[in-house]
Amino acid sequence: MGKILACEQAIETDAESATKEITEKELIFLCQQGDRDCFRILYQRYQQRVRSTLYQLCGSALLDDLVQEVFLKAWKGLPQLKTAQYFSTWLYRISWNVATDQRRKLAKGADKTGLNAQTWEKEILEYSKSHQVETAPDLMQLHYQDLVQRGLNNLSFEHRAVLVLHDLEDLPQKQVAEVLNVPVGTVKSRLFHARNSLKTFLEQQGISL
Amino acid sequence: MPNLPNDRQNNLVNFCRHHQPLPPEAPFDFEQKIIDSLESHPQQRKLGFHFNSRWTIPGALATGFLFTSMSFALKTPRIALEPKDLETFLVKNWYDTLDSNSYKYTVMQNNEEYWLLQTTSESALSFAPQ
Repeated sequence: MGKILACEQAIETDAESATKEITEKELIFLCQQGDRDCFRILYQRYQQRVRSTLYQLCGSALLDDLVQEVFLKAWKGLPQLKTAQYFSTWLYRISWNVATDQRRKLAKGADKTGLNAQTWEKEILEYSKSHQVETAPDLMQLHYQDLVQRGLNNLSFEHRAVLVLHDLEDLPQKQVAEVLNVPVGTVKSRLFHARNSLKTFLEQQGISL
Repeated sequence: MPNLPNDRQNNLVNFCRHHQPLPPEAPFDFEQKIIDSLESHPQQRKLGFHFNSRWTIPGALATGFLFTSMSFALKTPRIALEPKDLETFLVKNWYDTLDSNSYKYTVMQNNEEYWLLQTTSESALSFAPQ
């Protein structure tokens, strides 16, 4: 009954909208009522951002599992999300928590797959090589991608997270602070150090910016 | 370490964005796999009573005020109907304030009339014009 009313409400609102596209607020409302089709749309809208963030933070070895974990946690926790406009921040925060958990597992050596930081770096390089073989588009582009990836790997996990969220995912500093649950001043400080470290690394590799 | 000027920061950010490593594509049926797995992961519904921390302190203050008011309301003042009761009450309180080890007082059974204050003396209240 509640679901029917929710759908009717969404349809009424949808009819009023000029674009005839279901808004994110309505999508989240329907997902909170248990609508899986709406959750599929949410997934399609956000999966690339979640996937990219997790890849920059954790690598590609368990990427599919981590992405699935993020969206399952989002699905389970959606009814408790009070403000729909914070969905993006909330989803990034889940991604950050999942990445942190994965990082801890690797650090403790509790992961059954036996992955660790060195393994991650190795498989990233292997992926870059395989990608290079598959596509072989521009050698300089691949070289620069490899440099950026290695530069990110040189950063601490916290510094890398700030750089990925702010500079690569283009989140404002306030939202980054909310995702990481730290003050904005800490975000600024980490961003400053992360950029300087990355710049130093790139200069050592012969890149002048 | 020197701070980067804005244009150099922009150069760095643009370089990183342009050359950031892209994640591998998701498997073909990955989306459907996630949607299918929702079946075995029920959503966590809100409970009927939702504890809201925003109302915790005001609620506690209101409850405390209510209990205090009720306790004061229940404590009706004792009224001495007889002068003897009042005198006994006063004497008992007086003895309680003194150290019982140094002095030993005994409550006298027979009260003297002159001990009692004349609270409603007719002569004091009445005004007789000369």
